[in-house]
Amino acid sequence: MARLIRTEKEVEGRYTEQWVVVEEDAAIDQWPAGPRETVGRPVPRVDGYERARGQALFTADVALPGMLHAAVLRSPYARARVRRLDLSRAREADWVLGAIGPDDCDALTLEPGFHGEPVAAVAVDSPGRAREALELIDVDWEELEPLLDPEEAVRRNELHEEPRRYERGDADAAFADADVVVEAEYRTQTVLHNPLETHQSVCRWEGDTLEVYISTQFIWGVRDDIAESLDLPPDRIRVICNFMGGGFGAKNGAHAQTFIAIALASQTGRPVRCALSRREENLATGNRNSTIQRLRAGARSDGTLVALEGEFVNAVGWKGWSGPTYGPMEMLYACENVRTLTYGAKLNLPPNAAFRAPGFVEGTFGLECLLDELAGRLELDPLELRARNHADRDLADDRPYSSKNLLECYRRAEPHWARRDAVRARSEGPWRRGVGLASQIWYGGGGPPSYAWVRIGSDGRATVITAMQDIGTGTRTAMAQIAAEELGLPLDRVRVSLGDSSRGPYASISAGSSTTPSMGPAVRAAAADAARQVIEIAAQRYHLEERLLTMQGGKVVSSDGGSWPLEEVTGLLEDAQILGKGARGPNPTGMRVLTFGIQVADVAVDVETGEVRVERIAAIHDVGRVINPLGAQSQVEGGIIQGVGHTLSEERLVDPASGIVLTQSLDAYKLPTIADVPEIVVELLDIPDEHLTNLGSKGLGEPPIVPTAAAIVNAIRDATGADVRSLPVSRDEMLRALREARERERAAAPA
Amino acid sequence: MQLLRPESVEAAAAALGNGSVALAGGTDLVPMLRDRLVSAETLVELKEVVPRGVEGTRIGAGTTLAELEVDPEIPAALREACALAASPQLRSMGTIGGNLLQATRCWYWRLDFPCFLHGGSRCHAREGAHREHAIFGNERCASAHPSDPAAALLALGARVRTSRRELGLEELYRLPTEDDRNVTALEPGELILELDVPRPEASVYLKAMDRARWAFPLVGVAAARFADGVRLALAGVAPIPWRLDSETDLDRATPLPGTAYKVELARPLIRRALHSVT
Amino acid sequence: MLELVVNGGRYEVEAPIGQTLAETLRGPLGLTGTKIACGEGHCGACTVQLDGVPVLSCITLVHTVGEREVTTIEGLRDHPLVDAFVRADALQCGFCTPGQIVSAAALVEADPEPTPERIRHAMAGNLCRCGTYPRIEEALLTWRD
Repeated sequence: MARLIRTEKEVEGRYTEQWVVVEEDAAIDQWPAGPRETVGRPVPRVDGYERARGQALFTADVALPGMLHAAVLRSPYARARVRRLDLSRAREADWVLGAIGPDDCDALTLEPGFHGEPVAAVAVDSPGRAREALELIDVDWEELEPLLDPEEAVRRNELHEEPRRYERGDADAAFADADVVVEAEYRTQTVLHNPLETHQSVCRWEGDTLEVYISTQFIWGVRDDIAESLDLPPDRIRVICNFMGGGFGAKNGAHAQTFIAIALASQTGRPVRCALSRREENLATGNRNSTIQRLRAGARSDGTLVALEGEFVNAVGWKGWSGPTYGPMEMLYACENVRTLTYGAKLNLPPNAAFRAPGFVEGTFGLECLLDELAGRLELDPLELRARNHADRDLADDRPYSSKNLLECYRRAEPHWARRDAVRARSEGPWRRGVGLASQIWYGGGGPPSYAWVRIGSDGRATVITAMQDIGTGTRTAMAQIAAEELGLPLDRVRVSLGDSSRGPYASISAGSSTTPSMGPAVRAAAADAARQVIEIAAQRYHLEERLLTMQGGKVVSSDGGSWPLEEVTGLLEDAQILGKGARGPNPTGMRVLTFGIQVADVAVDVETGEVRVERIAAIHDVGRVINPLGAQSQVEGGIIQGVGHTLSEERLVDPASGIVLTQSLDAYKLPTIADVPEIVVELLDIPDEHLTNLGSKGLGEPPIVPTAAAIVNAIRDATGADVRSLPVSRDEMLRALREARERERAAAPA
Repeated sequence: MQLLRPESVEAAAAALGNGSVALAGGTDLVPMLRDRLVSAETLVELKEVVPRGVEGTRIGAGTTLAELEVDPEIPAALREACALAASPQLRSMGTIGGNLLQATRCWYWRLDFPCFLHGGSRCHAREGAHREHAIFGNERCASAHPSDPAAALLALGARVRTSRRELGLEELYRLPTEDDRNVTALEPGELILELDVPRPEASVYLKAMDRARWAFPLVGVAAARFADGVRLALAGVAPIPWRLDSETDLDRATPLPGTAYKVELARPLIRRALHSVT
Repeated sequence: MLELVVNGGRYEVEAPIGQTLAETLRGPLGLTGTKIACGEGHCGACTVQLDGVPVLSCITLVHTVGEREVTTIEGLRDHPLVDAFVRADALQCGFCTPGQIVSAAALVEADPEPTPERIRHAMAGNLCRCGTYPRIEEALLTWRD
């Protein structure tokens, strides 16, 4: 019977309440911890060959008959008013088939608030001529003075929302009583997602149904965005994304390119592709915004944290949201007295977008560097300081954790941390070596609603059907493993059909480390439902008791000795199929579901040239049960490598006078290459969360990027004594910090 | 647009000018055509007319960086500069002649700001974002010359044979002036055909960049020791490859607020380069 | 009319001067395994081989290819590196992967047992935003196993 329940849903720290339907009242017990037949064992991804051979069709490869190509006229100014927009020359040109302005599409504006904001668009039938058609649009621009400085925005109260204030305990009193107080200002830069497939959509009307092929992290979110914006019945919108080339948080909605393609498809009656160029991608699709963090920590001489205080300025941009930069300070440690104040500055800069653990990456950098500065003042071992302030219960929400094994992570970090003396001893010449660490806290529990079906055919093969997306994280593979495990089938007899809102039930967003913990339990429930039906059929056909039957090794097996190949049982139905349905149940009531971990970084710094080499990172994370250790390792490595880029080489630069984005191309915006990668040691605790779903799995896309910058910067301090307080640690910043450290040493030296 | 494939230097020279542009590896030109930083009615492909390969001390201007990177006959400074330049694919495509003539990576210039180098009245980088920019010769234009091999060849005292003359590499480059915003002395239609690279007793190229590979130099230092002394040249520090006599020449640098670190960075690199060749 | 030799086959295509090799492969030839991710020669997703040499097809004008043989990922589908990449899990989203394999195939042709240093030097022009580099290195160290 369908059971309607009201439950709490969290995505990246934002909680909402919603209704969900759960199909099964009977809960399914979690599997015992440890590797099973398929779950918990390393498996190459099931779509690996399609992707490696270039056979996977991405949105970038979708070519529909008669398809037109759109180009977008974007504001060349950070702030401007369009006095006059004249599309008539474009509309008159016989080779330009569509031309739209703000009257035709809400994603276009006459008052752009950032460099790159869309103003008008055209469609032509040759991709090579799309940009040329933009020259037929006549625009009379009035350039306006942009607001670019976040501190100035705070002073002028140009904010996206009221400043967020949080306080628990009495921070002032606690600081007054503290034995030691440290304070520092940290800054993080703006970084760009740069998925290799840019934002793109192909839209086509098929009768009264709108088909949208899109590179997205959330098929259903796209459908909702379009339905709401265009006032269409949602089921007349079909959203398709079979393969997508990376998102990292920037592709959670329909985005401007979809609305532009829809408007042009409506105007021309033809399918329209709107694909961003790399440079457009780096202007207008979001970023991890820069932050300024003024932080203070007070402790007793034994290392007990008594007070934490943070003022955070998020340079959000023209649109977007003020992320939880304060999160780690409020959640990571057992500190009774915490006060934070957070501003979301509204600036004439491109909007931010969620980027792999938004807010927590930035906030962890500040907090965990401050903790090491505190450890230095207290002459306490940094690992010991963290263990001493371990939180046994969530103080921000005053709830127990569903599971937390951070102390075990700390214990597993000890051998890596103990290498410190040996690493330092390898310093030679200008190269100084050191080790640093940082803790990680983040969400990742996923939640309902999410649904899946499992279909078993007469051939004894199973198909998992759900309209989710695999954004490259390997969820297709993980879902196949879960279904195979539950059905007792070898992995090669399970397929996963996803990526199409008209060919499967509602599925979760792939963001907030939520795909596996949201979808996995639904897939398992669907497989269990299908297995139950198979067993019921077998029991009737072979006159057995259901309770004696299980599915194992591709067979229905009776505990009294008999066994029947699955295809023999399902073959009874000829072409008909068995369909199991499953739903994701609610998260444990009254508990905080979070992920934890620690990273230990070894670095070498050339103190003369400021060159920083990250030589090794050990990553120990507690993310519940691991479904596919091979894919999980790759996820952790990938997160760390993005973290290395964030720490050392990536920075979006803007002209300080005009607000024009200067680093639009991938020579100027420096992603890590294979030559920049350290040795990475991954250890996942693989302890199922006993309170969380029928799997006990949490997500792990985001946790690995959270502590990387702080661990590296703490290692730099260990190696050189220099306090890096600003990202990226470019040569200029490293040389500045080294100079400051030398001067400090000189001033401290006896005359 | 049309594409010509002349079979002689004379025909190529004759085809150039009047809205036509020479095309060799295309790694710089093709993106610039797309960005309309260069406009051309006619492309003149040089593959058939510019020599390729190494013979003794002579290097055909059509030789790719990838070929030079692995050629044991080539002085170490040039080999290392080629190996550390750009990306493997760009090195496989790009020719040494084209590399010497590549345009700056200054983002203002690349984004077509009406800057001094584009014929405008001021340098946007001086007041703007300029951490990758120049510390020498930067009064009018603070762009940095991006070529690693050019600095190596300058230190090696290479000479250039063009379709019209022979000149030292130093004479190939010039700072842009009010009257002439070019950074090379090549005349319209003049082609680089060959380089003559003296054999040093020892040479080295050291490079500081933002990534371990595939980045333009923040500072590149080439040093070559000859019987009569050591020659030094730097990449990434001026609108053109820049000669220095010694480390103390850095005292005469005119860094911008955001490029002062390059002076600090150049010192140990110069010392290390000198130490390496002596 | 232009003649191209691609993956052993000879093709006639019509292309205006200025069209790139990548556009030609993906458009008229329908070989969409070659990806365009930056379109300006910075990321390596469009890498193909010309006579065995890895080049960036997004900034190679198709009319300059001449008689050189073009090898794309479609011509390398049965290369043992494909297996090695899948086994080592050297891909996540897979958008850069065809370009990675084309570069890697040229590397192992020149040096069947590349050292980690050589791999890092030869593969530095193929950006992977998902960060599968350690797995790619592993695939290149184990491709003949």
